[in-house]
Amino acid sequence: MKPVLARLQGIERRFGSVVALDGADLEIFEGEVHGVLGANGAGKSTLLAVLGGMLAPDAGTMQVGGESVALRSPREAWAHGVALVHQHFTLVPRLSALENLALGRGRCTGLRGEAERLMERTRLRVPLDARIEELGVGDRQRIEILKALLRDPRVLVLDEPTAVLTPEETEGLFQLLREVAADGRGVVLVAHKLDEVLRVADRVTVLRGGQTVLTGTAGAHDIDELVRAMVGSDVADAMALGLPDVTTAASVPGATVSDQEATEPIVRLVGVGVKDGSVDRLSGVDLAVRRGEIVGIAGVEGNGQRELALVLSGRQKPSEGVADLPGGIGFIPQDRSIEGLVADFDLTENVALALHRDARFSRGPWLRWDALGEAAGEIRSRFDVAAPSVSTRVQALSGGNQQRVIVGREIGMASDFLVAENPTRGLDVAAAAFVHQELARLVAEGVGIALVSTDLDEILGLSDRVCVLAGGQLVSVPEGERTRVRIGALMLGGSGA
Amino acid sequence: MVQVRDGPRVRARESILIAIGAVVVTALAGAALLLAGGYDPLAAAGAMLRGAFGSWGAFTSITLVRSVPLILAGLAVALAFQAGVWNIGAEGQLYAGAIAAVWVGLVGGALPGVVLVPLVLLAALGAGCLWAVVPTVMRVRLGVGEVITTILMNFVGIYLAAYMVHGPLQEARGVFPQTDAIAEAARLPKLLPGSRLHLGFAIAVVLAVTLAMVLSRSRVGFQIRAVGASEAAARVSGQIDTRRVLVGTFLLSGAIAGLAGGVEVSGLTYALYENLSPGWGYTAIAVALLAGLNPLGVLVTGVLFGALQAGAGAMQRDAGIPAAWVGVVEALVILAVLGLDRVRRLRGEGA
Repeated sequence: MKPVLARLQGIERRFGSVVALDGADLEIFEGEVHGVLGANGAGKSTLLAVLGGMLAPDAGTMQVGGESVALRSPREAWAHGVALVHQHFTLVPRLSALENLALGRGRCTGLRGEAERLMERTRLRVPLDARIEELGVGDRQRIEILKALLRDPRVLVLDEPTAVLTPEETEGLFQLLREVAADGRGVVLVAHKLDEVLRVADRVTVLRGGQTVLTGTAGAHDIDELVRAMVGSDVADAMALGLPDVTTAASVPGATVSDQEATEPIVRLVGVGVKDGSVDRLSGVDLAVRRGEIVGIAGVEGNGQRELALVLSGRQKPSEGVADLPGGIGFIPQDRSIEGLVADFDLTENVALALHRDARFSRGPWLRWDALGEAAGEIRSRFDVAAPSVSTRVQALSGGNQQRVIVGREIGMASDFLVAENPTRGLDVAAAAFVHQELARLVAEGVGIALVSTDLDEILGLSDRVCVLAGGQLVSVPEGERTRVRIGALMLGGSGA
Repeated sequence: MVQVRDGPRVRARESILIAIGAVVVTALAGAALLLAGGYDPLAAAGAMLRGAFGSWGAFTSITLVRSVPLILAGLAVALAFQAGVWNIGAEGQLYAGAIAAVWVGLVGGALPGVVLVPLVLLAALGAGCLWAVVPTVMRVRLGVGEVITTILMNFVGIYLAAYMVHGPLQEARGVFPQTDAIAEAARLPKLLPGSRLHLGFAIAVVLAVTLAMVLSRSRVGFQIRAVGASEAAARVSGQIDTRRVLVGTFLLSGAIAGLAGGVEVSGLTYALYENLSPGWGYTAIAVALLAGLNPLGVLVTGVLFGALQAGAGAMQRDAGIPAAWVGVVEALVILAVLGLDRVRRLRGEGA
């Protein structure tokens, strides 16, 4: 058997009253890509943070390279050859990409050449001299990965690295991970898309409720088995797994809306442009969304999705053109912990964020906290938010449960129209399936939805119509041409019409 | 299922625990410093307590009177900090309020008290508000951090007051750098016979209760807290005009700090002079932070710091410890609160 590079046993970790890890085990062998699977709140990120030296475990033992260690900081983890690529970015916004790479390495001589060779070899291309704050999420993710690789780690740990990459880049990254592993290292990968993990992983570990419930060779377990291990039940949404045979909105009962309603546009953008200083973020965008349809807007991060989502949701006025919007708009922003929720507020206050100007919840200038608490309680029970009470601070909730709060709240606001911006990014199978079900249910009720997503599977699976946003311009994709290849080409700015 | 909303109660409990912890840390660190300086900490504490609470007269005429500007300026700071506006400019706003109040009190002598007193207080509110305009505009229009701008405006305010008492508003005799006393009709009535405690204390209490209600129960108070807790989330909610909330809170904070200056001159000193404030606008930051930015907490911490200043004199007299030592205590309190709050946040962060 190949030597063990890292072994975590019986790891426990709690945050206040929340148990994140409850005796989790993980073994990384030399030369393997190891996939870590689990539902949201299963403890994947916490386990990786323990391995990366970000968090000290409350109990359990860790061995790296055969010796028992207590990693008390990322620096100590690096010293033992463990490099962690974070789910949340840890780059300095004011420094250039190259300077950030230097931070990760400590010395600068020959760094540019080395970085360029690495980019060539890994096909992860980034503008080295651009400042991080000028770059999109995709570039930032690539820089994080390059930063870890430059450190030449024995164990490379990646937390959800593919969420913002294009299909080609994802393929390239996987090939790279296999090469890294073949080179006598270990790679640990968390990705919420099962099929992605299975494509690249040699072995998998499944966490549920902070415990390791399954571990073994990837090929020895079929998808059903893994999903059951992850969610503890047979609930599985083919869409959220990223499986090819996708059937969604159209198959939901009652999803068909009468033709008359279907032809009535609820949202109309005409010649919309958004300028940021002298840069055109959006230009000449025409778009109509009708009741009872999902319009999917695909695109690589940083091509104007952000601006389009803000304009569609009425959060930003276009600098050119006309945006004709209805009254009842819900908006699921992509950055749930920063823009979707106030971390230090409890559930009730976060629901109040959307509802506090509603006449039902106020008396004169005073808020009716009792009524707001009831509204929060309804969202909590109807959308199955795992929180002890509506007085729980949302920062104590897992990502999936935070998203349930946002989805529940914004669906309540979306009496006419909902804008969903990467609504399942970073969510696990069950949570993503839940979001997709809710979108399908909402559209069946006659609400129009604009789904802005970098996830092609999601776009193709849910949308009635598909548009591609590239370089700030919106291109509609005719029904007959809705293939991954065609849309992928449009996303990458290939020949438009 | 009954929904009990005890989130705010949990937060209040955390704030109180932090405050108690900060007081303990400060007491220990302060005692250590006194020992290092060759003083007796117990004697110092005894002298301080006697000076601040030794008699009903000392408590009302010294401690509570000292606490009035601290409570008002503390409320100004707490309100701003709740909105994420780091107004360090209460000192300058307080001086602006004091200048305006004295001016109205000097020129309006012919008016009856029921008219003049409100005018004096309104002038103080307006001047404090005006003093916050430049930092506010620079923050929301140009994105210039208000910490720097408000501190700089403090110097302008302090030296403007100095100029006034040497120049345009100097007393008629022209001897001392101070103004004449304001008209009788411009003075706040006393609350207790034979005590120096004036109506300003009641104003501070009413304002604290009002602000507490507004912040916890009103729509605009919720918006202020939301902007302070996460400006991005507040903006993206689509329900909050964050710029309006920032501007409104910043200006209101300046106005309340101005009121602190106006109440001081019309309630106690009846005149403006150099160094009217021994740094109340800065002490107010410690008052607000120790109170966990809770207006009702500010009432308690304001009196506590009032007692500290009242006791400082007695401490100097009886135990030979320089009164300036109180400034060290204030700094220790701020450090302890910030440190303990950070610990709470680190421990509260989840997966």
